[in-house]
Amino acid sequence: MMQASDPNQKIARRAILRGAGVTMALPFLESLSATAATGGNAVFPKRFGVVFLGCGVNEDHWSSEGDGAGMKLGKSLEPLEPLKGKINVVHGLFNKGAMGLGIHPPQTGSLLTGAHLEKGAVLHSGISVDQMIANKVGQDTLQSSMVLACEQPITGFHESNFSLAYSSHISWQSPDSPVPNECYPALAFDMLFENRGSLLNISILDRVKERADRLGRRISSEDNGKLDEYMTSVREVEKRVEGMRKAQDKAADAAKGQSKPVWAMERPANGLPEDLREHAKLMCDLIAIAFQTDKTRVASLIISRDLSSMYYPFLEVKDGHHTASHSNNNDAYERITRFHVAQYAYLLSKLDSMREGDGTVLDNSCLMFLSNLWVGRTHNNSRLPLVLAGGLGGTLKTGRTLDYVKAGDDNRKVCSLYLSLMDRFGIQLERFGDAESRLVGI
Amino acid sequence: MNHFRKGHFALAALLFASLSASGLSAAPAPSLDRQFSDSVGPVIAKYCVGCHSGSNPAAQFDLKSYDSLAPVVRDYPRWDLVLKRVASGEMPPNQAPALPADARQKVTGWIEAVRAEEIRKHAGDPGPVLNRRLSNSEYNYTIRDLTGVDLRPAREFPVDPANEAGFDNSGESLSISPGLMAKYLEAARQTADHMVLTPTSFDFAPYPMLVETDRERWAIQRIVAFYDRQPTDFADYFAAAWRYKHRAALGMPQATLGSVAGGNKLSARYLEQVWQLLELTKEEVGPTVKLQAMWRSLPSPKPGELDIARAGCVEMRDFVRRIRRHTEKLFDVPAVPGLNVNFQPFVYWRNREIAAHRRDFDPGALRVEGEPPAPEFTVTRGPTFGRGEDVEVKKAIADYQKERREDPDLVVPAGQRARYETSFVAFSKAFPTGFYARERGRFYPIDSYDKGRLLGAGLHNVMGYFRDDSTLAELILDEKGKKELEALWLDFDFVADYTVRTWRQFLFESAAARLGRAITRPTFDESTTQATVLRYRDYYLETGAGANNPSVLAALKSHFQAINSEIRLVEQTRKDAELRHLEALLKFAARAYRRPLRAEEREDILAYYRQLRTQSNLNHEEAMRGSLVALLVSPDFLYRPDLVETSFGGAAKPSATGATVPLSGLALANKLSYFLWSSLPDEELLARAAAGDLAKPAVLVGQVRRMFKDDRARGFATEFGGNWLAFRQFETLNSVDRERFPQFNDVLRQAMFEEPIRFLADMLRNDRPVLDLLYGKYTFVNPPLAAHYGMPTVAGGPDHWVRVDNADAYGRGGLLPMAAFLTLNAPGLRTSPVKRGYWVARRVLGEIVPPPPPVVPELPHDEAKSDLPVRDLLVQHRANPMCAACHARFDSFGLAFENYGPVGDRRTKDLAGRAVDTRATFPGGVDAVGLEGLQTYIRARREKDFLNNLSEKLLVYGLGRSRLISDEPLLEAMRTNLASSGYKFSAMVEALVTSPQFLTKRNRITISSIKSSVSSKVP
Repeated sequence: MMQASDPNQKIARRAILRGAGVTMALPFLESLSATAATGGNAVFPKRFGVVFLGCGVNEDHWSSEGDGAGMKLGKSLEPLEPLKGKINVVHGLFNKGAMGLGIHPPQTGSLLTGAHLEKGAVLHSGISVDQMIANKVGQDTLQSSMVLACEQPITGFHESNFSLAYSSHISWQSPDSPVPNECYPALAFDMLFENRGSLLNISILDRVKERADRLGRRISSEDNGKLDEYMTSVREVEKRVEGMRKAQDKAADAAKGQSKPVWAMERPANGLPEDLREHAKLMCDLIAIAFQTDKTRVASLIISRDLSSMYYPFLEVKDGHHTASHSNNNDAYERITRFHVAQYAYLLSKLDSMREGDGTVLDNSCLMFLSNLWVGRTHNNSRLPLVLAGGLGGTLKTGRTLDYVKAGDDNRKVCSLYLSLMDRFGIQLERFGDAESRLVGI
Repeated sequence: MNHFRKGHFALAALLFASLSASGLSAAPAPSLDRQFSDSVGPVIAKYCVGCHSGSNPAAQFDLKSYDSLAPVVRDYPRWDLVLKRVASGEMPPNQAPALPADARQKVTGWIEAVRAEEIRKHAGDPGPVLNRRLSNSEYNYTIRDLTGVDLRPAREFPVDPANEAGFDNSGESLSISPGLMAKYLEAARQTADHMVLTPTSFDFAPYPMLVETDRERWAIQRIVAFYDRQPTDFADYFAAAWRYKHRAALGMPQATLGSVAGGNKLSARYLEQVWQLLELTKEEVGPTVKLQAMWRSLPSPKPGELDIARAGCVEMRDFVRRIRRHTEKLFDVPAVPGLNVNFQPFVYWRNREIAAHRRDFDPGALRVEGEPPAPEFTVTRGPTFGRGEDVEVKKAIADYQKERREDPDLVVPAGQRARYETSFVAFSKAFPTGFYARERGRFYPIDSYDKGRLLGAGLHNVMGYFRDDSTLAELILDEKGKKELEALWLDFDFVADYTVRTWRQFLFESAAARLGRAITRPTFDESTTQATVLRYRDYYLETGAGANNPSVLAALKSHFQAINSEIRLVEQTRKDAELRHLEALLKFAARAYRRPLRAEEREDILAYYRQLRTQSNLNHEEAMRGSLVALLVSPDFLYRPDLVETSFGGAAKPSATGATVPLSGLALANKLSYFLWSSLPDEELLARAAAGDLAKPAVLVGQVRRMFKDDRARGFATEFGGNWLAFRQFETLNSVDRERFPQFNDVLRQAMFEEPIRFLADMLRNDRPVLDLLYGKYTFVNPPLAAHYGMPTVAGGPDHWVRVDNADAYGRGGLLPMAAFLTLNAPGLRTSPVKRGYWVARRVLGEIVPPPPPVVPELPHDEAKSDLPVRDLLVQHRANPMCAACHARFDSFGLAFENYGPVGDRRTKDLAGRAVDTRATFPGGVDAVGLEGLQTYIRARREKDFLNNLSEKLLVYGLGRSRLISDEPLLEAMRTNLASSGYKFSAMVEALVTSPQFLTKRNRITISSIKSSVSSKVP
């Protein structure tokens, strides 16, 4: 009857039936926005993204001095040179609650949540800042957020008495459960363009209409009145779901009609890319195109997780990532760090090449690059390496070095930064994690 | 709503008129109509219409609009009220001209005749029961019973509107909207996210199962819970053996070891073994000797001291454990050049050896006088987290070694090694070093570090699990237990895929390059093939060859072999499971639809699954979830339709005779379970329905009794009780000022909500008299509520509820003084005698009181800031006849509760410091004081009203429709049954469920139903 399948292989049989890719015209919003023709001050949506590097940086080469065109970047940050006017290099932020509990999982589990982690088998962090934002802005897009990773999660209980799940996930939708990471580029693509979620909803709704029809023949005509109500409701919901999809297609057609330049992205091949370079690039492409076409406004990407076992033959590093981080002040680990920054820079430059109004998609976004440690060989997380990119619709000044290393513990909380960022998304909280005040100077 | 009823009545009247066999036709009806126009109408016009008409009629009751019989019949409940009011002389009110006696008689006589006629015509009419969806509560309970997890997805749904009687379980008020439909879709997805596929079926977890860490957690918790349930404490076995030994003295001379084991929930065969060692084994030296000495010195039973031997048994157990801990056979990882001590296959090898030798002992632990000490065993230290931990671990290991070295019971006289070793063999065989390893850290068996790594393999920095429970199966478990344990471990790998994931991590972490010999990394997809696993095996065999240690090579070989076998096994299990999952899906569908599926429906469900696989391109698990979602938004699940076919699962048989048809067994089972549990029928109900005897009165009565004793009857207590007494939404009540009343927090609020539910559930379970609701001197409290009521402290947490028999000493007992009602009916910063009184009159006694006129001045918001006590402010209600007409009925009831504050606490002063005054004058001029006065008054004058009200509410709730005139005889029967049974709740219910109203439905012949009966015959 049915073919058995291996759940580890999410093979797309549909490749035969459908075309290999999709084209999306851009910009999506301009084609719909009434003010586009006048070129006036259209308000574009703000986007938020996080790019993660596990196990810290090479602290000798992670530096920035000065602002604006004169900013001098350390070796590991060199890939950001062309974009330095649009970034903020932030030094010295930390999460006090992630110190002193043990190494690795407890240093990562609250990175984006600020939660106080407890030892033991029960997983309990908080809602991460990206998911907080997604909860606010997610309803307006097809997908409320994209949570991607280039590395498979590990689970089980670490000897620090914390769960390894803390090392595997940075985005948390509830304190008890992280958002599942999507590791397969093809499936992440499908979620965006094949609209897996809403297509499935439509197919379900179609089916239950049939059920209502069949059921209607087995009940009295009077009772069919209630079923009519049901049918109407189902049709209404279907219309709404279809409506959103149609709006996307309409934008594409409209833009095509106006002969605007078109960005093409092919559907990635199935399975996991063997080469991390390819994997990371695909994930960045997906985030870029998703932001640009407003399929989502929130994304997080783990290039290498905490306790990463990634390996980098193309960087001529013999050790695995985690092992290399134990000699993080070596050149090998510097190359690893710089590789990650280069992927981040690739994403930024892609977003910066997508025009939106008078600026670019990057100008309307904020993309944060960070790691859970500062110095891997001592597991020091008393300050975190962190870069912000994008002007967030003019609400964030860029091109700065912001140094909080000596600002005092109360004034350098990374959760204060999160509060400040959330403010700009219209989420005004009194506290987040261990912070009750915003980050001064941001 | 009126429109509907009118339509139905007209239709019913037509049907009855045309189909009635007795040929009763028009005679009485026109006469009543005539009577109305001739005599009743004019009386009303003269004496009543003056106030009861116009744009703002008194009590919002426009009598002028009734111009004939038909609208009276349609609106009978109000005319019932007319009857009451006129008969009692309350109407016309004192200020208006009084009705002369004969006019009064005309009106009341006519109304009674109308009633009698309607009853005669429609006795036993099941009435119009509209097709309805599940209410939100029913949805929650149904999901709970379908999945086994109380997910409560409907907490996000908009609140269901109630029908006139206040219940939300009838088609009269339940409708569906696109907004609700979207919520159903979301709720179905959430529920489907909790689904977990197992090798044989699927189950539901208490949390979503989409992330690996959650899947692991689920599987691990089940295994650990299984372990924890097993009887593995030596002390318990020693105590059981002692009981057997002294069975005569303990009054059970016929006991056997088996029966003693069974009675104490221990393993019979292990008890045999223990007994063997204690009583029958002859040893001269060694630990058995000492143990037997301790055994023989256990005291004999004394009367009243049944546990006299317990302390001794515990000592024995501690002795056994110590000896075994110090003689445990431990293994160390082999030293192999090129492979470090934490090399996974070696750690697993060590774990396996330890696991396999739990019933052995280490001869090296015995210290023979004169012999040089055996080399100290070592516990391989895994990497530690820096100097601090390093020092502590070293110390822990050193302490352990010292304990072993200094154990006096391990000393052997010179030359006696062989004898002692023999005795240790038997001892160790009987007493394993452990029955299972629930946790394992890096330094096992030193367990002071790395705690909590459930089922772990003790690896460093990476995931890994290890199963170590063979002695449990060997010594303790019966066949059933063994099977269960095997299934649990298979489930673990099936659900969490830990072998594959551990392997992959090992693979990609393995520092192959560091060894200086390259091995090609496989692609991700190739990583788990047999070829890859064996390739790595061979690579490491080569690496390890240099150690010249055959056991090393054997260890490496078996490790990779084991991994490969497990991966292949799980793969195969997944393939085999798919069909089983689909079978389970069909079974689930039948339970969700609450009826058997037709062949075409089964095929339909499978076809949709296939569509999800092939067209939507989902994998098996995703397609299962999608299919589940489709089931849970399907109308077959969401609605409780009245299927036209009358026989159990068969085709429709249009019935040309009779206005009503009996409900099918299945329909009856559903009606009964949604009545008494607000949820789907269970196996037993369905079995009775299938057997065809569910409608028999004796069977029905038996089921009612059973169902009320079941925990699910809480659904009835909550839904019926909660809606009848208007506290259903109390859990989310937020009108209390928590700064003024800080004791009112969420925990107390929940406790207040629980109290009436527990009271009612207890009444149902134990068949207590319904009058306890009014006069009972007991209630139920948990610790927070007990504190709130000033009762003696109740120990435990909020889930611990106790019955308080002398609650009246604290001003409690029965429903009336329950904090939930007192708080619900108090607007925040003061009490409200009006609201509280109204609640008693309306909810408890069933009075129909119209709403107040639109412009009524507000009473002061805050009692503390008001110059007058509340009762004085209400004087207007008495002084003004327009107000008094209604307020005289209930204000006084509320005043009787003035000694309970806004959150239901007892008080002697109000919030402004004035002494409270609970005197009241009840309707009819009865002076009384406080709660007791109210209870006395009700008992003397209003008990009938309470019982009438309760029976009416029960009828409406049970039938899922509003009351009809023709229900009067049934209500009479319910009340009679009630009174003659000592007022037991079940008596009312039994009368209701054995009535034609409950057991039949209106025969609704339609063209479409005939069509479907024809088409269903087509194969």
